[in-house]
Amino acid sequence: MPLKQDEPWYKHAIIYQVHVRTFYDSNGDGIGDFPGLDQKLDYLGDLGINTIWLMPFFPSPLRDDGYDIADYYSVHSSYGTLEDFKGFLSSAHKRQIRVIIEMVLNHTSDQHPWFHQSRSSKENPRRDWYVWRNTDTGYADARIIFLDTEMSNWAWDPVSKSYYWHRFFSHQPDLNYDNPAVQEEMWNVMKFWLEMGVDGFRLDAVPYLVEREGTNCENLPETHAILKELRRKLDEQFPGKMLLAEANQWPADLRPYFADGNEFHMAFHFPLMPRMFMGVKLEDRKPITEILRQTPEIPASCQWCLFLRNHDELTLEMVNDVERDYMNDSYAQDKAMRLNLGIRRRLAPLLENDRRRIELMNGMLMSLPGTPSIYYGDEIGMGDNINLGDRNGVRTPMQWSGGWNGGFSAADPEKLYAPLIQDPVYGSPAVNVLSQKRTQHSLLNWMGRLIAVRKATGAFGSGSIEFLYPGNQRILAYVRQLDDEKILVVNNLSNAAQAVELDLRRYKGNILIEMFGQNIFPRVGELPYLLTLGPYQFFWFRLRRI
Amino acid sequence: MAEESFLTDDFLGQLISVGEVDILVGVPTHNNTKTIGSIIETIQAGILTFFPRERAAIINADGGSRDGTPQLVVGAAIGDAQRSSKLYALRTLRSISTQYASSPASGTALRTILAAAELLRAKACAVISPESTQMTTDWLAALLRPVYSETSDLVLPTYSRHRFDGILLTNLLYPMTRAVYGLRIREPYALEFAFSGRLGSQFLAQNAWHEETARAGSEMQFTLAAIAGGYRICQSFLGTKQHVERHSADLVQAMRQTVGALFFSLEPNFSLWSTKAGSQPIPTTGAEQEFTLEPVRINRKQLREMFSTGVAELESVFQSILSPSTLAELQRIAGLEETSFCYSAELWVKTVYEFAAAYHKSVISRDHIIQALAPLFRGRAFTFLTENHNGSAANVEDNVEALCLEFERMKPYLLKIWNGRE
Repeated sequence: MPLKQDEPWYKHAIIYQVHVRTFYDSNGDGIGDFPGLDQKLDYLGDLGINTIWLMPFFPSPLRDDGYDIADYYSVHSSYGTLEDFKGFLSSAHKRQIRVIIEMVLNHTSDQHPWFHQSRSSKENPRRDWYVWRNTDTGYADARIIFLDTEMSNWAWDPVSKSYYWHRFFSHQPDLNYDNPAVQEEMWNVMKFWLEMGVDGFRLDAVPYLVEREGTNCENLPETHAILKELRRKLDEQFPGKMLLAEANQWPADLRPYFADGNEFHMAFHFPLMPRMFMGVKLEDRKPITEILRQTPEIPASCQWCLFLRNHDELTLEMVNDVERDYMNDSYAQDKAMRLNLGIRRRLAPLLENDRRRIELMNGMLMSLPGTPSIYYGDEIGMGDNINLGDRNGVRTPMQWSGGWNGGFSAADPEKLYAPLIQDPVYGSPAVNVLSQKRTQHSLLNWMGRLIAVRKATGAFGSGSIEFLYPGNQRILAYVRQLDDEKILVVNNLSNAAQAVELDLRRYKGNILIEMFGQNIFPRVGELPYLLTLGPYQFFWFRLRRI
Repeated sequence: MAEESFLTDDFLGQLISVGEVDILVGVPTHNNTKTIGSIIETIQAGILTFFPRERAAIINADGGSRDGTPQLVVGAAIGDAQRSSKLYALRTLRSISTQYASSPASGTALRTILAAAELLRAKACAVISPESTQMTTDWLAALLRPVYSETSDLVLPTYSRHRFDGILLTNLLYPMTRAVYGLRIREPYALEFAFSGRLGSQFLAQNAWHEETARAGSEMQFTLAAIAGGYRICQSFLGTKQHVERHSADLVQAMRQTVGALFFSLEPNFSLWSTKAGSQPIPTTGAEQEFTLEPVRINRKQLREMFSTGVAELESVFQSILSPSTLAELQRIAGLEETSFCYSAELWVKTVYEFAAAYHKSVISRDHIIQALAPLFRGRAFTFLTENHNGSAANVEDNVEALCLEFERMKPYLLKIWNGRE
């Protein structure tokens, strides 16, 4: 059945981010695969997921979990075949679930044939597909992103006897987007997958495509021009498909990625995410309201993508030093939890497995302006393993049951691509899908209800937002409105019960209907509307004039 | 009939909005527009600098200002829209104000601040005078840190003062408090201090808050309550304390608030102080006290004349308060020429102790007793000014120390007359 292409579907998407490797192993080799993912689509459908974001699944030496691609036109053999992918895609679409895939435009693996050819000789036709220099002194104003591992953005290549440019790991040489052939080839890559039926791309590391001397080599006009051209081709040849930007930037720098609605459809709101954690820890709405006030308007067809956690560290690049120190001291007291400028932990451990805080954070994720993205396993409160290197501690196998390998794989445990979480609090016997499905009030079932309630109104996906500023700064309150539909959201960021008086005079005469239980609350009058909220409690009210 | 709360509903509503705090800074005001702006700015900067992560609030208890003082305090808030001009604020900083119904009174203001501290469950609270124009951000750290780190319940200030500033302090309050209670507290009557929520709550609950108490000087009572309650007290050096010009008629009021409170405290705490001898230093951060020496003009002649007039006019009052020998000696020195006038330390201590005993026995109205001490204090002030006219800072300190030792040496005399044996 073809998917509807009318409404901007991404505005009402519930995105589930997953790496095929981590989800379900169908052939018992210890590694998740596409047939396995296919088998679990009903689970995602039951949860209310309508969009899957797949992390890189291409052939790769896997030195950066697949973000080091060695072939853009195939599937890593560990995860299955191209046919397996097509089968999965078809199954997803049958369930009205869209699939967006990761596309790493900025760089390839140093094992990619293009790079082999490029380094082989200065006369090779692909020499200019990468950025080469005789010295390592160019683009000195560009920051180093992976501070913990890289000393420079230039790396010496002994084969070519030259330096090549890389913004990330040194084994990930940047493609040279000043070369039209590169631009053309990357569009061909995208076209290949679009023709197969994928619904969009999460474009990785987009601010860094073009380099210019005397700049920080981020967000350059030339980069935007390339992205606009990709969008133009996309709209022309594949209408209804979507581009999602990964640009870890301040709101003002992010805004150009939407351009006039002709660049990206969506972009992650990176600065908001740490401030949601900060707001809950500080028990103060200021970090959240402050960043959202600084967030510029975006074109009507565009959308923010919100997330609490993802496959990377909880990035603290978009906070100042005072905030970063606070976040580290609050959420990563153990230095092993810190990586680069961030915190490599999952949602539940970050929130000390406090169900109330987990619910509150998910409540905000689902009700603030944007499309929510859920990281696999967070819907059941999976833990992490900070003893695994890099960000692998948040990329452990999905926990399906309390049995063998947590129900992830029939392989011997030592063959798993990564060890399961085994601690008594977060291990698979304690945290797994099977047991949570059987428990009415489990986090998993609660998440399902939350998603269902969100999907019951278009206001969360497409509505405007108006913040209320009650005197009690522990309360974050706002009204989401789409046409005549108005939703009042009230969040208690504090671990203590709170009373709050809301100025709702402009909604005088409306009654409040609590959206989870459908209970009626008193009618709004002239006086401040008094509410009391338990610790970390939140309310979603539909405002109805009856 | 239900008991009426001294907190207005509006203020209570504001407190509910503020919620629990770690740090509370109380500012009692009354028509302080000339000074309050810079002080509030300094408080805000102090909080953001030294307590950036803590939940903090500024609470203004205003005695009915008509010059816009509360508005200046409230303007220091950092909310969703407001930002500090100089420093980054991690979180909201609330600044709220309330006006109490009665006329300006430090006791009512302190009570309001204490109530706010208790309701907000503040861990550490500071009170800052609206006249301390020389305040720096460091003051907040110096006052609040010992309390916030839970090493002290009461932090009192020490200052760099002019040698002739605070003569009542150096000649009566400090030496007598030290001698009676055995603790060397340099500023027992402080307008800047910090306290723990524990101490604040106890004082709020125990103190009988009525008009007379308010008049008696609640800041002094607060210190004395901390001493009597065995709370941990320390001192922090804040720096320069600017002299605030006051009308001479303010002396009686100042004595009510300080000496009255000190005398009043002796009664319920007799079992505590009667067994103490000598004195102990208390933990002090920074200098214990500094004296500065800039030349100042003081009308000493007027002081001596007011002393002599007072001795003559209040003879009948003094007869009920003082021993015959003390009164006779006062009458003798009242007749001396200015050049030979000397109100000795021994006579001064004896005078003060006899007043304290008379206060205890309520030989006449207690308020009249305090009023009657004022002219005698002026005589002692004349002598202090004369003795230290050309003295160095060290000389002044030596003289103050000598007076303290005299108070300590003669404490048995206070005990002797306390129960009317002389």
